[in-house]
Amino acid sequence: MLPSAARPLPQPHPAVALMARETRVREGRVARTLGGITLHDDSWVLRGSEFLMRASGEIGLHYRRGEGITLERPDGTDPRTIALWLNGTLYAAIAALNGLYPIHASAIAHRGRVYAFTGAAGAGKSTLVAALGRAGFAQFCDDTLILDISGDGPPVCLPGHKRLKLWPEGVALAGVEPGDLVAADYHKHFVKPAGGTVGEPLPLAGLFYLEQGERPEAAALAGGDRIERLQDDHYTAELWRQAAGQTRAERFASLAALARRIAMQRFARPFDPARFAEGIDFIAAHIEGTSA
Amino acid sequence: MSLPLTKDPTAFAETRIDDEIVVMNLASGDFFSLQDTGAAIWDLIDGTRDRAAVLAALARDYAAGDADLAAELDAFLADLRGSGLLSGI
Repeated sequence: MLPSAARPLPQPHPAVALMARETRVREGRVARTLGGITLHDDSWVLRGSEFLMRASGEIGLHYRRGEGITLERPDGTDPRTIALWLNGTLYAAIAALNGLYPIHASAIAHRGRVYAFTGAAGAGKSTLVAALGRAGFAQFCDDTLILDISGDGPPVCLPGHKRLKLWPEGVALAGVEPGDLVAADYHKHFVKPAGGTVGEPLPLAGLFYLEQGERPEAAALAGGDRIERLQDDHYTAELWRQAAGQTRAERFASLAALARRIAMQRFARPFDPARFAEGIDFIAAHIEGTSA
Repeated sequence: MSLPLTKDPTAFAETRIDDEIVVMNLASGDFFSLQDTGAAIWDLIDGTRDRAAVLAALARDYAAGDADLAAELDAFLADLRGSGLLSGI
């Protein structure tokens, strides 16, 4: 046995190491054109192994597989704004370009597995995770869930790379303390997860689709509905489609294969703020029962 | 015997999940899910059976009356033809 001082350090999960390597940033000039397409502000293009994004305020971000990120920004740009751009669409694009599958979801971890919540913007993903934190569930990720789908069985979830952010309405609804503003011109608040965070890759236990309903209820999704729901219209699905460069038949086959590996449910609850706690109590008990 | 019913394999992709057959129309990108009699008809269209043979096979497996099964079969075949998923018709 090796003396403790000589023991090798634990190695990170290969997908975690890959994302750490591919998201390294250097500063430099960033073109406005990729693959013959010239970008205006707040737009992006993905071609081959490259991703180019332009943001307002003369901010440019370019990624090429194997080379990492090049960032162009004017002097004095708010670092919080830069962090938003680095952690948003660009991060999901880098994941997709490296064979990982980004989903528009926020998630908690419980008993070594991940329970993720997805839905359109405003569906309450982050607010739900914040409120479940108050119920003792650890936060796993906010807004973007990256899946390693290389193995068999349930996909492996990569730990979140973003801090939990809530609009003031979400802060009030979840009953959490608002932290700093995310940026001077973006009035979401950072929120400290009340149930802590998990920083290790974990298998995906379930993916819940958030819906409005008369009363809180969860129901398993089956058949073609599972495939159709994976093919949502969020930008993460579009990034994967473009990065994978698949024909329609290939994409259909890959979505079907992924759908078979993910337990999906619809989670309906009233959107009435006065009944918010009903939904939280229900899903907390549901997860507790599922994981037992 | 009339011409056998044949699917055009270049027009669609299919997969089976949770007792459903999910079919994607490769031209439009739309997909639809088949269960029960719809799935049975889809499987019976194998290039060897004509309409009458498909109907006879359905009648053996389903308790519905012949007229109901025939109406369901014809509506389904019309949908497939309209979507370009049947060849040689």
